[in-house]
Amino acid sequence: MENTQLSFEQILNATVRMLRTTWKTRVCLFLQMDDQGQLQVRASDGLPLKKVSALAVNPQEDPYAACFSKNRIVEVDAAAPMGSLTKLLKPLLKKGQKFVLVPVSGETRVLGILFMGPYPRKARILPREAELRSAGALCAVLSAHWRLYQWMSNFMPQLNHDLRTPLTAVQGSIGMVLGGMFGQVGGDVKEMLEMAQKGCERTVRAIEVYINTQTPK
Amino acid sequence: MKVLVAEDDPDIQVILKMVLTRLGKCDVAITYQGDQVVPMAKSNRPGLILLDVMLPEMSGFDICKALKADPETASIPIIFLTARSMPSEIQEAMKLGALGYLAKPFDPMALVGQINQILSPLGVSIGA
Repeated sequence: MENTQLSFEQILNATVRMLRTTWKTRVCLFLQMDDQGQLQVRASDGLPLKKVSALAVNPQEDPYAACFSKNRIVEVDAAAPMGSLTKLLKPLLKKGQKFVLVPVSGETRVLGILFMGPYPRKARILPREAELRSAGALCAVLSAHWRLYQWMSNFMPQLNHDLRTPLTAVQGSIGMVLGGMFGQVGGDVKEMLEMAQKGCERTVRAIEVYINTQTPK
Repeated sequence: MKVLVAEDDPDIQVILKMVLTRLGKCDVAITYQGDQVVPMAKSNRPGLILLDVMLPEMSGFDICKALKADPETASIPIIFLTARSMPSEIQEAMKLGALGYLAKPFDPMALVGQINQILSPLGVSIGA
């Protein structure tokens, strides 16, 4: 059967493609806050993702600061510097155009920015604030899921490792004693050690089931 | 046979040394530091390297890559012995040229047999 499961990258890119079509613009980018406090392009339509995904901008610098820090939808003159995006956007621009920056807001803070444009300067975008914020909210949900997905991708293999390592010492020691490496054991001691060994085996099986099958592929 | 073990957990080091020495009749050298494996492989010339993935200073995958890229050490068989047992990790290890992959926890009494099974295509064995 064909594998139809989409990755988070594909879902986010499909979302920005949908937003670009809905909002009738040439470029739609989703910039997500990374661990270094920079806004990094996570999804793109209208600009090749391979080129833009390496780019990051400072959320504390204009024109992003007004949107990111104040949680406001901002219109930016297309001629204004856009940080590392300026060079890529320049060929697309005509005089008198603007970009719209929409905050991607989580419950307590801004998680990123939706970058759309260029629009003619006179285009009335701001009156549709509620719709723009909904578009931002959709990206916020996807952003939060992506962060969780990334966290799980790192956490599960680490947990797998950290549970298996001490179990190796426990099971290994018991195995050597039961295997007769230090002389024969019998009676109650043997019975108790076999019980401990079975407990280890059950724990390993549980790790296999819960961790190996739940880690994002 | 000389065996180089790269393992950072002191308890597992003890178990491996005991098993490989007593049951495998091997001459065992152990290091816990990733960046020591390549120099030790060059100076000790082991017949087998048992390699953990998560090691300080240098990961087992990077060590495997370095060993396979160096003509002096490229022919030494490498078996990963690690708690990193996700299918993608096993796949990566094999792609890098490892001969085999054993997941922790392992049964110490069965370890020599498992190693010999992996070594069998090369016509060598331990424990004889």
